[in-house]
Amino acid sequence: MISKLMRIVAVASGAMAALMLAGCGERPQVIDYKQGKYQGKPDEPPYAAAPFNGNKDMWERDIRNRTQNQNEYRRIGS
Amino acid sequence: MLLTRKSDSAPTTGPRLKRQAGGRISTMDRRTFLKRSGLAAGAGAFASQLPYGAIGPATAAAESDAKSVQKKRTVCTHCSVGCAVDATVENGVWTRQEPVFESPLNLGAHCAKGASIREHGIVEHSHRLKTPMKLVNGKWQRLSWDQAMNEVSAKMLEIRKDSGPDAIFWVGSSKHNNEQAYLMRKFVSFWGTNNCDHQARICHSTTVAGVANTWGYGAMTNSYNDMQNTKCAMYIGSNAAEAHPVSMLHMLHAKETGAKMIVVDPRFTRTAAKADEYVRIRSGTDIPFLFGMLYHIFKNGWEDQQYINDRVYGMDKVKADVMAKWTPDKVEEVCGVPEAQVYKIAEMMAKNKPSTVVWCMGQTQHTIGNAIVRASCILQLALGNIGVSGGGANIFRGHDNVQGATDVGPNPDSLPGYYGLATGSWKYWAGVWGVDYEWIKKQYAEGMMEKSGMTVSRWIDGVMLPNDTIDQGPNLRAMVYWGHAPNSQTRGTQMAEAMKKLDLMVVIDPYPSATAAMCAMVRKDGVYLLPAATQLETSGSVTASNRSLQWREKVIEPLFESKPDHTLMVAFADKFGFKKELIKNYEIVKDKDGWDEPTPESILKEINKGTFTIGYSGQSPERLKLHMKNMSTFDVKTLRARGGPCDGDYYGLPWPCYGTPELKHPGSPNLYQTSRHVMDGGGCFRANFGVERDGVSLLAGDGSYPKGSDLTFGYPEFDHVLLKKLGWWDELTEDEKKKAEGKNWKTDLSGGIIRVTMKNHGCHPFGNAKARAVVWNFPDGIPQHREPLYSPRPDMVAKYPTHDDKKAFWRLPTQFKTVQDKNVADKVSTNFPLVLTSGRLVEFEGGGDETRSNPWLAELQQENFIEINPKDANDRGVIDGEYVWVKSPTGAQISVKAMVTDRVGPGTTFIPFHFAGWWQGKDMLEFYPEGAAPIVRGEAVNTATTYGYDSVTMMQETKTTLCQVARKA
Amino acid sequence: MARMKFLCDAERCIECNGCVTACKQENDVPWGVNRRRVVTINDGVPGERSISVACMHCSDAPCMAVCPVDCFYRSEEGVVLHDKDLCIGCGYCFYACPFGAPQFPQAGAFGVRGKMDKCTFCAGGPEKDNSEAEFKKYGRNRLAEGKLPACAEMCSTKALLGGDGDTIAEIYRQRATTRGKGSEVWGWSTAYGRPEAPKSPAAPAAAPGGKS
Repeated sequence: MISKLMRIVAVASGAMAALMLAGCGERPQVIDYKQGKYQGKPDEPPYAAAPFNGNKDMWERDIRNRTQNQNEYRRIGS
Repeated sequence: MLLTRKSDSAPTTGPRLKRQAGGRISTMDRRTFLKRSGLAAGAGAFASQLPYGAIGPATAAAESDAKSVQKKRTVCTHCSVGCAVDATVENGVWTRQEPVFESPLNLGAHCAKGASIREHGIVEHSHRLKTPMKLVNGKWQRLSWDQAMNEVSAKMLEIRKDSGPDAIFWVGSSKHNNEQAYLMRKFVSFWGTNNCDHQARICHSTTVAGVANTWGYGAMTNSYNDMQNTKCAMYIGSNAAEAHPVSMLHMLHAKETGAKMIVVDPRFTRTAAKADEYVRIRSGTDIPFLFGMLYHIFKNGWEDQQYINDRVYGMDKVKADVMAKWTPDKVEEVCGVPEAQVYKIAEMMAKNKPSTVVWCMGQTQHTIGNAIVRASCILQLALGNIGVSGGGANIFRGHDNVQGATDVGPNPDSLPGYYGLATGSWKYWAGVWGVDYEWIKKQYAEGMMEKSGMTVSRWIDGVMLPNDTIDQGPNLRAMVYWGHAPNSQTRGTQMAEAMKKLDLMVVIDPYPSATAAMCAMVRKDGVYLLPAATQLETSGSVTASNRSLQWREKVIEPLFESKPDHTLMVAFADKFGFKKELIKNYEIVKDKDGWDEPTPESILKEINKGTFTIGYSGQSPERLKLHMKNMSTFDVKTLRARGGPCDGDYYGLPWPCYGTPELKHPGSPNLYQTSRHVMDGGGCFRANFGVERDGVSLLAGDGSYPKGSDLTFGYPEFDHVLLKKLGWWDELTEDEKKKAEGKNWKTDLSGGIIRVTMKNHGCHPFGNAKARAVVWNFPDGIPQHREPLYSPRPDMVAKYPTHDDKKAFWRLPTQFKTVQDKNVADKVSTNFPLVLTSGRLVEFEGGGDETRSNPWLAELQQENFIEINPKDANDRGVIDGEYVWVKSPTGAQISVKAMVTDRVGPGTTFIPFHFAGWWQGKDMLEFYPEGAAPIVRGEAVNTATTYGYDSVTMMQETKTTLCQVARKA
Repeated sequence: MARMKFLCDAERCIECNGCVTACKQENDVPWGVNRRRVVTINDGVPGERSISVACMHCSDAPCMAVCPVDCFYRSEEGVVLHDKDLCIGCGYCFYACPFGAPQFPQAGAFGVRGKMDKCTFCAGGPEKDNSEAEFKKYGRNRLAEGKLPACAEMCSTKALLGGDGDTIAEIYRQRATTRGKGSEVWGWSTAYGRPEAPKSPAAPAAAPGGKS
C-alpha cells in the first residue's frame, strides 16, 4: 500500500522532474537578433595571394602609387 | 531567423576560425552549452565584419597551370585619338584588356568604345560576318572562299571586258591600316581605275583641300596634347566630348590651368556644357560668324600685323572684303549671333593667345565646306596663331586611320602622298613600285589615267545618270564596299535604287553592314559578302589625328573565316593577273590556309621609300616599334622623348618625318613652327603656289624662317637646280647625286636633297613661303557665305545664293543653283520648315553596324531619336518619348523616337547618323544574314537626307537639310 | 591604412560612358544589369553636369544594415561586398540604397548571375581570389592583383577617381585649387547658399539641388 503510493509519487515526481527539466532546456521564444553580422562565406584580404603573399604594406604602397595613374598632373605638371 | 549556409566550401567550424558570437568563447560550462545548442544558427557565425579566414592554402592569383599568356599592345580602332590598349591573350584567346598609362596620347584613358574593345575578340554570340556569303534568290547562302573568289573575280573580269575598268567603283576604308590603305591605292591603280575613295570624302575632304591650299599640308597643325598649352580654344562645329572624348582630357586640363573654352554649335552639346562661352549659330552660317569675328579683330587692331607681313599673302584683300560685307548687322541677320557676343568671342580669342580653333564636321559637311574651313584658317592667320604651340588649326579627324588613308590610301585624285595624278607622279610611283609605267598605263582606259575618279559620295549617280552626262566611258556597273558603310552617305532612297541597278555588289567587311541588308531588301542576287579581319587581327601602323604613327601588334588570329584586307588584295590581284607586280617588294608569309600575306613591315618600308612629300619616309617599322615599347619616356606636353632609347624623337614621329630613317628626323609635332630648327620639328609655310602673284611675292618675308636656317628669307622648294645654285650640290654623296640629278626633293629617291637641305643648312625642302589668305584655284578666292541648297531661309538664299551648276565635276554633272532655285520655287522651306542636322554619339562609330553589335555599347543607345525643341514639338503635338515620322523633301520618311529637349534651338532638329537596319518604319532584320544583324537597329538618318555637294571636293551637305516632323497617326 | 573610395569630378565628367562599359567588359556584366551608370542633370542646357554613380561603399552601409540574411560584409579597405549564395533576392538593399547600386538580373527572379549584383570595387567576392568561381559570380578581383577598379582607371578625362581615399583627396584637392572652382557641386550651396538665390529670405527659394 505505502509502496504503491510511494511508487506513484516517485513516478509523479519523476514525471514532474522530467517536465521541469524540460523547462530548463527550453529555447527562448524570441530570437535575440544581432544586426549586421555577416553570415556568408569567408573572404581573403586582397594582399593574401601572390604577388603580395600577405604583405599588407607592400600592397598598400602599390595601390597608392597606382592611384596616381589617374592623376595626369603627375606626368604633365601644371 | 538565420539561414544555414548551403555552400560546400571548406568547413568553417575548423579550429582556425574565430567564433565571436557575442564574445570570445574561452570556457564553456555544460549549462551554457545546453542553452546555446538549441540555436539553429549557422555554425560558426561571424560576428565581426572581417570574415577573413583561411579557406585553403593560398595559391597564385593568376592561373596556375602553364598556359601561354601574352601581352599584345595595340591601338583602339574607333577614332583618331589613338588610345593604346594592352591586350592579354591566353592560348590565342583575348581574355583581358588593360589601360596603357604610359601612353603620352591618352595616359590610359578610354571612352565607352575603347573600354569595351575586348568584345572584338569574343566568339560566342558574335555578330560578325563569319563566312563568305552570296545572295541567292533573296536569301543569304554560305560559300567557300574559293567559290567566292572565283565567282566574284570572274564577274569583275567580265564587266571589265565589256565595259572597261572604270565600270567598277572600289571604296576603300579609313579603317584600313596604313599598309592596307596604301596597298589598296596600288591595287586599284593596277586594276586600271581611279574610281576609288574612302570615308575622308564625306568627313574632312574639304578640310584637306581648303587647308592645304592655304598653307601647304591639309592636316591638324598641332596635336591634342598641344592643346594643354593653349590659352583659349574655340570649338566650332566640333562635339569633341562625344566624338573625341579622350581629347577632352587635354582640354579640361588646359581649362583647369587657366584656358578659356568657347563652343559654337547649333546644339548645346556635351562639349558646350564644358564651355565658358556658348554660341548658338544657325547651321551652315560659319563664314558670317568667323568673318564677323574678324571684323572686330581688324576694327580694334587685334591682328598680328608683323606675322601677316612676314607670312601671309592677301590679308589686305580679305580685310577689305570682311569690313565691307560682314558688319555686325549683316552677321546677325545671317547667323543669328548678336554683335555683343561676336565681339566678346573675338576679344577672347585675340587677347588670350596663343589661341586655337578646333573644327570637325560642323564646318566641313557643306556645299561651301572648302570655304568655311579656309575662313577658320584666315582667322588664325590674322591672329598669328599658326605655327605656334598652343595655337594652330586643330582639326580632329574621325576614324582611327582616316588620316593615314588620306595620306597614302585610295584617293581618286591622287597617288599615295598627295603626289597627284600627273604623268610625273605616275612615273615616280612606278619607279618606287618597281613596275613599268607603260604597263600601268595600259591597264587604264584611254585618257582616264590622269583624270580624278568619282567620289563615294556620288557613286549612286555614277550608276543612275544617263551615260552621255557622265565623264567616263561606262556607267558604274559594280560596287565594292571594302570597309565602308552605306548609311553614312546621303540620299538613301536613291542609293537603294542604285543598288537595284548594279550588276554586282561586293561587301568586304568584318560585319555584313547595312549594305547587305539594303541589297537583300531590294534585289535577289548578285551580292557577295566577304569576311574581313579587324585591325585587332593584324599588325600594322595607324596614323592618329595629330599625325603620330603608332604600331599595332596583332592581338588574335582572324576570327571565323575572316582574312586581313591585304591578304584579300593579293588574292584578287592573283585572279586579275597582277599579283607579281603588286607584291614585288614585299616579304610574303603564308597564312593558316596557305594564302600569301605580305608582311605589314615590308609594306611600310615601301611607303617609307616613296613618300617624301609629307614625310612618311622616316617612320620605319623599327623606329615605330621602339616608340610603342618606350611610351613612358615621352613628355606629355611636348610629346618629346627625354632620354631613353627614343631620345629626341617626338612620339609616333608625327609626319612630316623627313628623309630616310637614317636621317633620324624626330617628326613634327606642330606644323609650320618657325621657332624651332627644322631638324627639331620646326617648319614654315610651303611654297606650293608659285613665287609671286600680281607683283606681290609669295615667298616669306625677310627675317621669317625656321630657327637656325642658313637662308634667312623666303625661298622656293628645293630641287637639284637650287641646290647647285647655292653651291650645296657637292655635299651629296656620289650615290645620292646619281639619284638626285634632275629631281626635286619629292622625287629624289635617295633622300639626299632633303638631308643636305635640312641637316646641313637648317632649311626646309618645301620652301619658305607665305600662307595664302586669298586663293585663285577655288570657286571663291576669298570665302563667301552661300546658303545651303536646302536652306530654311529663302530670303537669305536671295542674298547669298549658291554656286552655278558644274558640268563635269569628278566625272559627274553636279547641280547647285538648279536645286536651290527649285527648292525656293517649290516652297520647300515652308513645307519642311525644320533644319535637320546629324552628328555623333559617343557610344557608336560611323555607320554603326560594328559598334551596335557590341552588347556593352548597344545597351546604352537602343533607339534612334530626333532631338526637337519644345516649341517645335508643341506646335506639332509631339510628346517626348513617342515615335514620330521625320519627312524629307525627297519623299522619304523615317520613324524615330522624339526627344524633346532644349539642346536644339527652335527650328533645328538633330538625328544621330550611326543607326541602320530599319527602312522607313520597317525592321530590316530579315534581310541580314542569320546571326549577323547588329543588336540595335534603327532608321538611318541618311535615308532622309538630300542632294548637295561641296564645290571643290564633292563633300556631301549633311549638316544642313530640311525636314518636317509629324506624329504617327 | 588604405581606405577605398570613389570620387567623380563633375567638372570633368563628359558622360562618355567609358566607366560603364569598362565595368561591363571587365566583369562580364550581363545586359540589363547596370553596376555603374552616368547620371546627368540639366541635360541639354547651361548647367549640365554629369556624374558617374555606382556603389559608394559606404562606411555605414544601409544595404548591410537592412539585409535580412546578413549577406554583406565590409573588407578592411572599406569595400562593401556580399555573398550571393546567401542572398535571397528580396530587394530590401535596393530599397535602402540611396544610389541605386543593387541590381537584379532581368531574366527571371534568379537570373543567370544569381540574385543581387552590384559594384564590387573590382574586389570580387567571397570566393577564392581570382578563381573561376569568383569571376563567374562577382566579376574581376583587380584589388587582389594590385590594380584599381577598371572604371576609374579607364575614365576618359580622369573624372572618376577610384582608389585609396587619401590619395584621391589629394588629387582632387590639387585640381580644385588649380581651377579655383568646382567644389560647389558637392553641396556648397547647401552649406553656404547659392550665389544666384534671392537675397531676401522671404522670397521663395528655387528648388534646392535641382538646377545648379
